[in-house]
Amino acid sequence: MKTLAKKDINKILGIWAQKHALLAPAKMDNGDCIFGAFNEKTFTLDYKKPPLSPKSFFFPQAEVIFRVENNKYNEVVAAKKGLIFGLRSCDMMGIRQSSSFMFRDNEDIYYKAKQSSAAMVVMACPHAQNETCFCTTTLSGPVAKKGFDLQLYDTGDVFLVEVGSPRGEELLVGIPLAEMEESKAKQKIDEFIKKARQSIPEVKLVASAMEKLKDKKVAEKVWDDFGAKCITCGGCAFVCPTCTCFNVYDHQYSPGNGLRLRAWDACLYGGFTREASGHNPRASQALRLKRRHEHKLLDYNSTDIQDGLCGCVGCGRCSDYCPVHIGTLEVVKAIAG
Amino acid sequence: MGEHGGNIYQLRPVSIVRTLPQIKDHRLFQLKLEDGTTWENFGHQPGQFIEVSIFGKGEAPISISSPPTRPDTLEICVRKTGKVTDALFEMSKGSIFNIRGPYGRGFPVEQLKGKKLLLVAGGLGLAPLRSLLLYSLDKRKDFDDIILMYGTNNPDNVLFKYELLSFFDRDDINYLYSVDRDEEGIWKQYVGVVTGLFDRTDLSPQETYAVMCGPPVMYKFVLQKLLKLGFAKKHIFMSLERMMKCGVGKCGHCAFGDKYCCIEGPVFNYPEIENIKEAI
Repeated sequence: MKTLAKKDINKILGIWAQKHALLAPAKMDNGDCIFGAFNEKTFTLDYKKPPLSPKSFFFPQAEVIFRVENNKYNEVVAAKKGLIFGLRSCDMMGIRQSSSFMFRDNEDIYYKAKQSSAAMVVMACPHAQNETCFCTTTLSGPVAKKGFDLQLYDTGDVFLVEVGSPRGEELLVGIPLAEMEESKAKQKIDEFIKKARQSIPEVKLVASAMEKLKDKKVAEKVWDDFGAKCITCGGCAFVCPTCTCFNVYDHQYSPGNGLRLRAWDACLYGGFTREASGHNPRASQALRLKRRHEHKLLDYNSTDIQDGLCGCVGCGRCSDYCPVHIGTLEVVKAIAG
Repeated sequence: MGEHGGNIYQLRPVSIVRTLPQIKDHRLFQLKLEDGTTWENFGHQPGQFIEVSIFGKGEAPISISSPPTRPDTLEICVRKTGKVTDALFEMSKGSIFNIRGPYGRGFPVEQLKGKKLLLVAGGLGLAPLRSLLLYSLDKRKDFDDIILMYGTNNPDNVLFKYELLSFFDRDDINYLYSVDRDEEGIWKQYVGVVTGLFDRTDLSPQETYAVMCGPPVMYKFVLQKLLKLGFAKKHIFMSLERMMKCGVGKCGHCAFGDKYCCIEGPVFNYPEIENIKEAI
């Protein structure tokens, strides 16, 4: 199996950055890590779970979809050959699920142009990033099974390199590589996965919560209580790797001229389902929370999930960032408990 | 690639050929394609909808009121009730705006052929149902009995009044009209909710297919009535209202359960949604 020396990583990223818009973990001044444009000064291998998944690379928080001139809609499809370095398997699964959704029935060219031209270099997860990680439960980690072009296993001084696609092979051209004997590499990967798994305990309540949702045995009170607590910030949807709902806005310069944009939206917002008549089929916050969690745990389209468990990839960000503790883990506990 | 030449959100210009006032804040617009194509090529089916786009205001889903059997024009019956429709009401003959579509799964016309039809409409629910009503009348030989039940809240709010009156001269359609209230005492037909009409005609529940569209409150009561009369669940179809923002199953606003109303609906067969609490 091929290996990369860790000391060469800046050099390698520099090579990839010449031909790609390279996104890599970056340490900000306040100590947080994000996926940002590669820069030798801010790049770090010592990163925890970034607050946002790299979904915004394909599905920006806001993007121009049409430049409108005299009421003529000229499409703006911004695609640069991207490379995301260092994403974890949970985020890889998020991208796979979202791509499947964006490509099915009617293909969304804005998403596809960016996603299909981007290479993925997954960093296999060595251990739980924090106490909210539960990818072993959602079948999305600690290592990616599919979707990556390269997957790296950090074994100390060297990364073991798993190639996932012809594009991954191409990425390795012109890169300083070494070899490790296959059996030895396999043993190291097995150990890596075993150790990682041990640090990410399975949340058995997820399966029982899914079962209860399916059997419609969840008391209304569960949703009423969460509904009373929710402050409707929508943050859970924005940090979620599989949330792709959007709204469309016009920015008008003059009549018939301007920009049509789309921007992230969230099913937690009161106006999300409100119809022109004023009727709202999800009229309460309790119903909106129920919808969100039923969608993630029960109703997410099975063709989009592929080899995962459900529409949740177990990254735990909703639990990390919800100001009033209504993450998927908390909801699962309340449902199953 | 998407069915509309690549970009599923791309628009095409249409112009207003005629506006026909209906009732207060409701207007019928007859449209013409401005890109040189015809409505015959548009390929719409009864029960489908379009997205109306007015730049600076946004997009709104509007059901198509005319049938494909009348391809000279495309008609939309619009209630003035938001930014897009307010702007539409400012427009007149010759005005140009943009549309996308046709979208959604309409009424199952092939399945309904040869069958007895019961169409139940409430208020503006007649707008999408009219496409099926006119389609079945234009292809009258393809269908067995046609019964139309239409209810509005008062005599001033009857849509497509002259068209409905013209049925008085026909013996191949059974029509029953109701108003909830008739304070001035001018209504010659039934006064009461639309479900009251079921007691005023003979139905053959075993052989009849029911199709409904109306305000949210109507579905529950009409369903109760139909099931009590012995209609088979699989013979009941309903067109549902949702905020269908993108129309192509991506933006998420119209989703309920595992369904996207804009692509799997807006017309649903009752068994498809009977176990989704939020659907009706």
